[in-house]
Amino acid sequence: MAEENSSKEISSSPGGLFWLTAGTMLAALIAIYLWVPTEKNEGIVQRIMYFHIPCAWLAFFAFFIVFVSSILFLWKKEREWDIYAHCSAEIGVVFCSLVLVTGPIWARPIWGVWWVWDARLTSTLVLWLIYIAYLMLRGQTEAESTRARYAAVVGIVGFLDIPLIHFSVLWWRTFHPKPKVISAEGLGQGMDPSMLATLCISLAAFTLLYCLLMGRRVALERTKDEIDRLKREKLYSS
Amino acid sequence: MGQLGFLFVANLCVWGGIFFYILTLKKRQAAMEKDLLLLKEESGKDGD
Repeated sequence: MAEENSSKEISSSPGGLFWLTAGTMLAALIAIYLWVPTEKNEGIVQRIMYFHIPCAWLAFFAFFIVFVSSILFLWKKEREWDIYAHCSAEIGVVFCSLVLVTGPIWARPIWGVWWVWDARLTSTLVLWLIYIAYLMLRGQTEAESTRARYAAVVGIVGFLDIPLIHFSVLWWRTFHPKPKVISAEGLGQGMDPSMLATLCISLAAFTLLYCLLMGRRVALERTKDEIDRLKREKLYSS
Repeated sequence: MGQLGFLFVANLCVWGGIFFYILTLKKRQAAMEKDLLLLKEESGKDGD
């Protein structure tokens, strides 16, 4: 019954969440390319911001889910929390990779260099490496309970880098611009209202995309569990 | 490369990355469904 449910969940046709995500993504693209005015200092390349910041937000949010799920796993010892942590870490790594790719593409025409070893960029690279290590650890450790426990510890410790990334531009002198959305003047005070609205639509679209991907990925992991269970049953019965 | 070029490459990377990940998920899903079907068939035969 469980395997029927999981495979049905995976192969189901696009549901309401899919269409909501697609619609919000379309609205974000229209706002980015047809509605929002071009920034006067940086020019058209500044529009990368509407993808770069949502990718960063999504990566941080995904790693926050890893952090919470890992704590809950260590506390309750339920496989369900380990599944959420694993799936969210994978999605987080994908979007953290996109942050590390789009950042240099934006930096090259503005700063004149692809990369600088400043605090914000370096701490983001460290975050990416931590969660790559997290996924490698999951792939290397054989015993399921040991793997889940070790991964949970890395998932919790790794998250501590995120506040460091956020405050790095305030604590140290960096090339990277200071936060404009969450700033000392107030939420979104450092931005033009139309730019803030476009960014908010893009953030909403990427958050919905996370929910969609997470649903798919969790269903996949449950199918994998079902396959493992059937294999074990087959092994014991033979 | 002009500013438009950089914007185009950034877009290509973001959408390409997202589509590649979705494609990978689909591929893994197809492989697992095949495995699951095979295992179910085998366990059905064993039951007979």
